[in-house]
Amino acid sequence: MNRLVQEFNFLVRDHGMILWLLVAAVSASVAVILGLAEISQQRQTIANLIEIDREEREVALAGQSDWGGAAYYSFHLTYDEPSKFAFAALGQRDVSPWKHRIRMLALEGQIYESDPSHPDFALIGRFDFAFVIGFLAPLFIILLLHDWRSREREEGRLEWLSASSSNLASPWIMRSGIKFGLLAICLLLPLWLGGLASQSQLSTLALASVITLAHLFFWGLICLLIGRFSFSSSVNLIIGILVWILWAVITPVAMRIGIDNRVPLPTGGEILLTQREIVNDAWDLPKEATMKVFLERHPEWSDFARIDRPFEWKWYYAFQQVGDQEVETLSNAYREGRTLRDDIAGKLSWLSPPALTERWFQKLARTDAKASLEYEQSIRNFHAYLRTWFYPKMFRDIPFDSTLLADLTTYSDVKTTEK
Amino acid sequence: MSATLTIALNEWRLWLRSNLALFSVGVFAFLLAASCIISALQISSATQERLELQSLAENTFFAQPNRHPHRMVHYGHYSFRIPPPLSFIDPGIDDVTGQAIFLEGHRQNTAMFANARASANLGKLSSLTPAYVYQIFLPLLIIIIGYASIVRERETRTLENLLAQGVTGTKLFIGKSLALYSIGVILLIPLIILLTLATMNGEQSLASFGLFFIYAAYLFFYCSLTIFVSSVTKKRNFTLGVLVAVWLVSTFIVPRLAVGAADATTNGMGKIESDLVMQRALRDVDDGHNAAAPEYSALLTDLLAKHNVEKTEDLPVNFRGVVATKAEAKLTEQFNRYSDQLMALELSQSADVARFNWFSPFLTLSSASRAISGTDLHHLHRFLRETEKLRFDFVQGLNRVHAEQLRYSDDINRSLDHGAEQRTRVSSENWKTLKPFRFSPDSAFVRWERAMVSSIPLFLWFAAFLFLGIQFARKLEP
Repeated sequence: MNRLVQEFNFLVRDHGMILWLLVAAVSASVAVILGLAEISQQRQTIANLIEIDREEREVALAGQSDWGGAAYYSFHLTYDEPSKFAFAALGQRDVSPWKHRIRMLALEGQIYESDPSHPDFALIGRFDFAFVIGFLAPLFIILLLHDWRSREREEGRLEWLSASSSNLASPWIMRSGIKFGLLAICLLLPLWLGGLASQSQLSTLALASVITLAHLFFWGLICLLIGRFSFSSSVNLIIGILVWILWAVITPVAMRIGIDNRVPLPTGGEILLTQREIVNDAWDLPKEATMKVFLERHPEWSDFARIDRPFEWKWYYAFQQVGDQEVETLSNAYREGRTLRDDIAGKLSWLSPPALTERWFQKLARTDAKASLEYEQSIRNFHAYLRTWFYPKMFRDIPFDSTLLADLTTYSDVKTTEK
Repeated sequence: MSATLTIALNEWRLWLRSNLALFSVGVFAFLLAASCIISALQISSATQERLELQSLAENTFFAQPNRHPHRMVHYGHYSFRIPPPLSFIDPGIDDVTGQAIFLEGHRQNTAMFANARASANLGKLSSLTPAYVYQIFLPLLIIIIGYASIVRERETRTLENLLAQGVTGTKLFIGKSLALYSIGVILLIPLIILLTLATMNGEQSLASFGLFFIYAAYLFFYCSLTIFVSSVTKKRNFTLGVLVAVWLVSTFIVPRLAVGAADATTNGMGKIESDLVMQRALRDVDDGHNAAAPEYSALLTDLLAKHNVEKTEDLPVNFRGVVATKAEAKLTEQFNRYSDQLMALELSQSADVARFNWFSPFLTLSSASRAISGTDLHHLHRFLRETEKLRFDFVQGLNRVHAEQLRYSDDINRSLDHGAEQRTRVSSENWKTLKPFRFSPDSAFVRWERAMVSSIPLFLWFAAFLFLGIQFARKLEP
């Protein structure tokens, strides 16, 4: 214990170390504060939008006189509420939409709209805790520990220390251990405070701390390994930085390019153009042709599918759905491709500890690609629900009754019943 | 003069003997080469693909059969953003913004399909472009190669000898600088090759030169910083630590802080408020589908009086088409007011980020680089404005056909009467109202101006460290 205090007193006089610990503590704190601010803003936006969405729909529905018009003019808000831990890893929420307004027209024409978040922000990237731990923390460790042995030699203490200690390695191990512990505290304290402020689950916080410690420990071992060779401190530092570039930049880039090439996706334009052609060609096709394709999916409406007039809402929505049906293959390929890319990335990320760490954080925070795909699926489910709600009324020619529209469930209700 | 040359040559000899220096150069050369190849392939295939899709979209629009003109309003059109020639050096915001936009009546859509969304997710540093390598990694290489230049002489006590032999501090400084700046020049050669290629691909040479100019200023800034820190510190390890700290903080921490700060200060109300504004504004504007709506009765009375007829059917124009034209104009006005607000907000947020330019040469260079490459926010906004104009023009062109070539009595009965439905189909010759559109970047002058104004901090930092270095070299102490 005495030794520990002694070492600690010795280290406090190391101004370089104090500076680095300060940078680490400030980075972690700022990341947590910005993350909390962003998440609370996203919550606020969602809360406001739910309110506006309800009002707008009431206004839109007020003037309607038939089911088709009611479905055509009413937009429905869908959203992906951030998890409590999302402040630590904002993840894909920067590039993937987390709010979307849809209506009962062909879904494929609507679902790919990207949320216009500020492009410069998305490009530079957010400063979240996952980034600090995944990409900056290794540098902090390297900067703190690269000279664990070389420095003593350069300052002429190596011989003396080796002679005066029973266990050859211990003085450096202890000194490095203290540095490691201090860095871990500087990084993890802001996380725990943020976690308590956001009421994250303790198990999530504990798991995040374990991931953090494991990642730091890994880079500590790398430093230990580099330090075993008798290079000078600055050479150690350069080697450390090169290793960092290899693992934090080159490996992830190589894997991303490899995966993107290996798993090709249908281009977005292809899905859009095909879908539009089908929907629009329907206007000129014989009505029976459209209804035949529609009825393959919905045999229950075969008795009600006769279209006599040039325009009828049930035919209109039938060809909207046929538009979705016909691009299903492309759209599924697009979705499955993204899932597959993410699966492979998950497996390969074991080759790059920084990428692996960031992915784990995003998984804990439910801000990963999987979460955004799930959100997309929930939009699809809600859209399907709208169809099952309106179809019986249109096909059975139930007279329009605006009071029935009160039964129309909102996305929020669907979400709550799912939970 | 010969003394400075000797010093520079000695520095070079030392580097060539150092395995670590050579290995580092190898790593960075690999990064650079890989990024150039990857980026060139990606951008050229994206350009090809989007050009093809664009012509396809236009041709299918023109090839539509005779039909009701309002059907074409809803049929709509796609516009694709074609990457500018310099984008294979700096694709800028191309990856994070949508590449295609659907243009239709009564709606202003947002762009769809951002690449970043579909790509494998491997962390925030997993994209590699020549611009990134120049902006992020080459400074580190300059630091690794040059940090020891003067401090080494001091640490190994050779500085005393040099000064005693009559080599002045200034000569030493110039010699060491010469060596390190020559590295900077060599590092610029790949960029020159890329720029030459871009110029052959149709980029204006002024823009290419502008890009070269700011990247040179950036690398030279790091050279001047490295030599300066090396001349004022006493321990090699400390020199390297300070330089890496500056690099780390200014490339990774400050830019992200700037984004966080800009977002937290302006956006607290901005995003929500502008959403609100649009919703409210659109509430009292309708799409003109219902010509019987009360707001158009005054218009009808005026028209009837003007043409001196009793019934809507007797008007020389189709009243439904008139309403459609009117409604589209009113709606578009609202859309544009909203999108102008949003663009102004985005520009002010970018300006907030740019306030941090003084603390981050990286931030300065990257925004200037996007500005010159034609891949910045200004270009995105202009693309959105031009596609909006394209949208409005073709929709109104079709509405004019709707008003002038269709009979009102047919138009109102077309949902019920097959004959009327046939008579409301107009010739596909009318689809020519759509103008072909290819987006092209601003003139090189405009881009140059934007970039130079924002990169003033970079030039000043370079000048400052060069000046400080010279001043300090005069009184160089062992």
